[in-house]
Amino acid sequence: MMSTVLAMAAKDLRLLVRDRGGLFFTLAFPFLVAIFFGSIFSGGSGEPRQLQILVVDEDGSEGSSLFVESLDRSEALSVELSSRVEAVEQVRRGKSVAYVALLPGFGASLSHPFAGSPPRAELGVDPARGAEAGILQGLLTQFAAERLQDAFGDPSGLQENARSGLQAIELSGATGPQAEGLKRLLTEVDRFATTQDTADGQEPRSGGQGGGFKLEPIRIEKASIIVAKNGPPNAYAISFPQGILWGILGCTAAFGLSLVSERTSGTLVRLQSAPIGRGQILLGKALACFFACSVVSVALVIFGTLAFGLAPSSWGKVAVAIACAAMAFSGIMMFLATLGKTERAVSGVAWASLLIMAMLGGGMIPLFVMPGWMQTLSNISPVKWSILAMEGALWRGFGWDEMLLPCVVLLLVGSVGLLLGTKLFRWPNA
Amino acid sequence: MIRLAGLTKKFGERFAVRSLDLDVPRGEVFGLLGPNGAGKTTTLSLMMGLLEPDAGVVDIAESGPPTDVGVRRKMGLAPQALALYQELTGRENLRFFGRIQGLSGTQLDERVDHGLEFVGLTPRANDLVAQYSGGMQRRLNLAAAILHEPQVLLLDEPTVGVDPQSRNHIFDNIEALKAQGRTIVYSTHYMEEAERLCDRVGILDQGELLALGGVNELIEAHGGLGVLTITTEAGEVRSIETENPVIALADWNRSELETVRSFEMERPGLERVFLNLTGRTLRDT
Repeated sequence: MMSTVLAMAAKDLRLLVRDRGGLFFTLAFPFLVAIFFGSIFSGGSGEPRQLQILVVDEDGSEGSSLFVESLDRSEALSVELSSRVEAVEQVRRGKSVAYVALLPGFGASLSHPFAGSPPRAELGVDPARGAEAGILQGLLTQFAAERLQDAFGDPSGLQENARSGLQAIELSGATGPQAEGLKRLLTEVDRFATTQDTADGQEPRSGGQGGGFKLEPIRIEKASIIVAKNGPPNAYAISFPQGILWGILGCTAAFGLSLVSERTSGTLVRLQSAPIGRGQILLGKALACFFACSVVSVALVIFGTLAFGLAPSSWGKVAVAIACAAMAFSGIMMFLATLGKTERAVSGVAWASLLIMAMLGGGMIPLFVMPGWMQTLSNISPVKWSILAMEGALWRGFGWDEMLLPCVVLLLVGSVGLLLGTKLFRWPNA
Repeated sequence: MIRLAGLTKKFGERFAVRSLDLDVPRGEVFGLLGPNGAGKTTTLSLMMGLLEPDAGVVDIAESGPPTDVGVRRKMGLAPQALALYQELTGRENLRFFGRIQGLSGTQLDERVDHGLEFVGLTPRANDLVAQYSGGMQRRLNLAAAILHEPQVLLLDEPTVGVDPQSRNHIFDNIEALKAQGRTIVYSTHYMEEAERLCDRVGILDQGELLALGGVNELIEAHGGLGVLTITTEAGEVRSIETENPVIALADWNRSELETVRSFEMERPGLERVFLNLTGRTLRDT
């Protein structure tokens, strides 16, 4: 039984190697995809889109609430309140772009820009979304600065702020050019607020040469646990899983077509006349597909590691992710191969299906670039789960418990595909 | 060795094989003769167990139906469509087909070497099949069918589209297999092949077995008279049906009515048998 299956698999792999066109799509094309997209993303591009972020309000003050409201009103952000633990986990799993934690004292510091330390916020960004970290940091600074502007627009509040600031400097006993400069500025601000002199465009003065000071609207601290270790080493860490998927898709299409070729070339009749069952024939095909998918995937990971700085967090998990993805697409191959009786028919159906899976699942464009509803829709694509498993193993630092969901989904898809393929398979004379 | 009883197969409303009864004894070369679409390939597929009959039974070597794995090991098939992998070499093809027949190790090596030698392809064993001529591919197709030394060999139009050299090689192969005592069912629409190779012939048309017997037996029963065709000096062509064309020619000369420029004698053959049985020639259909 097993020797027949192995003979089938060996024969199919040999045929694959001899088919230069098929070999290009199963081996060369995935490398091109990985390198091409990696190069694009490492260059940084794209317009800012609405970023989905979680906000952790650890201050719980009126000021921090107002700040959250201002974030929520922004067209650039989609905001959801969360606990710190949940927020960190969501970002680490790639389910949210980032979290912003407003640290205790945030509201008070925001309300008193001239006294004490600036408002502090912690920012944790999905490692895969490094390009957006800067955008998000800029947006936070902008909103904090707007709050400052509001403070300047209210004469009584401004006067109170200026006087409390002066008082704080006096109490602290600070000296030096910066302290002196700030004192002069706050005195001017106090006078300005008192005389209701609110001419448009007038900027607060810094108080002479060399005596300026820096007004820091918000102090952003990056969450080290995420940024430090779990981040992708570079954009190739995102593009290589995509490349691997293209390799797997190429194998899937090639082996699906090879089953139909057996039918049209007449070799299936000879196989049918041999003392073997269709299960052995189909299992042999699936095994060859699984092996080819695995070889292409491993080759890409090794190439990415050696040439493009991939640093798999766990080789064991990489192997499991590859095996599960290969299993899923071997099953899909078996199913697709039964959907037509000619190479042309199966090729059309197979590539149409696989391209849709790739489009939805992040095989063409990374999922995070897609709108929210499409990211939800991507759950139906095995490509999404394959990429998630591989990213989890390559750089997201998934634990085994986190690998479980994508791997189980992939194994289920593979099993269903194998069962359907076996059930729908028909001998040539049937 | 092969027993078909009441074998019937329909595709839709059309009978591909209708109530076929046939016994092929061990060591016989049996020819299934008929035009394209007569039901030859369907009959072979039923014998091989590739198709399920709508009625009737197939029994091989008194061991049961051909769908039984043990029975199938005793059978070999050379399909009409070349069942070979074009991107594998001749040797790789045979090694693969040998393995799925259960051969392995030195036995596999020996059988592959023997198969290549048998069909005269040893010098081209390591070339891709895609580089073979049509005749060479046909010979390899035959080699693939006999790797596991089957007792029963089903050959479906094994000489279609081959050059005369390969055709003669295949004839020699079949005669050698016959000498080894194998039971062979050979489908063809070439009468001369059936006449040369087959011990008995079944004439099949539209799924029905019209006649069955030895070649001479069939000719005697259904071939009719021989034909003497004379072309006179004046250019006229005369055909005379006769049991003895030599005597008819002598009679013609004695009459001295017209001088003979040339003559042709045609002995009745299977073509005539088919014509007389169906009203059509094999090549008309």
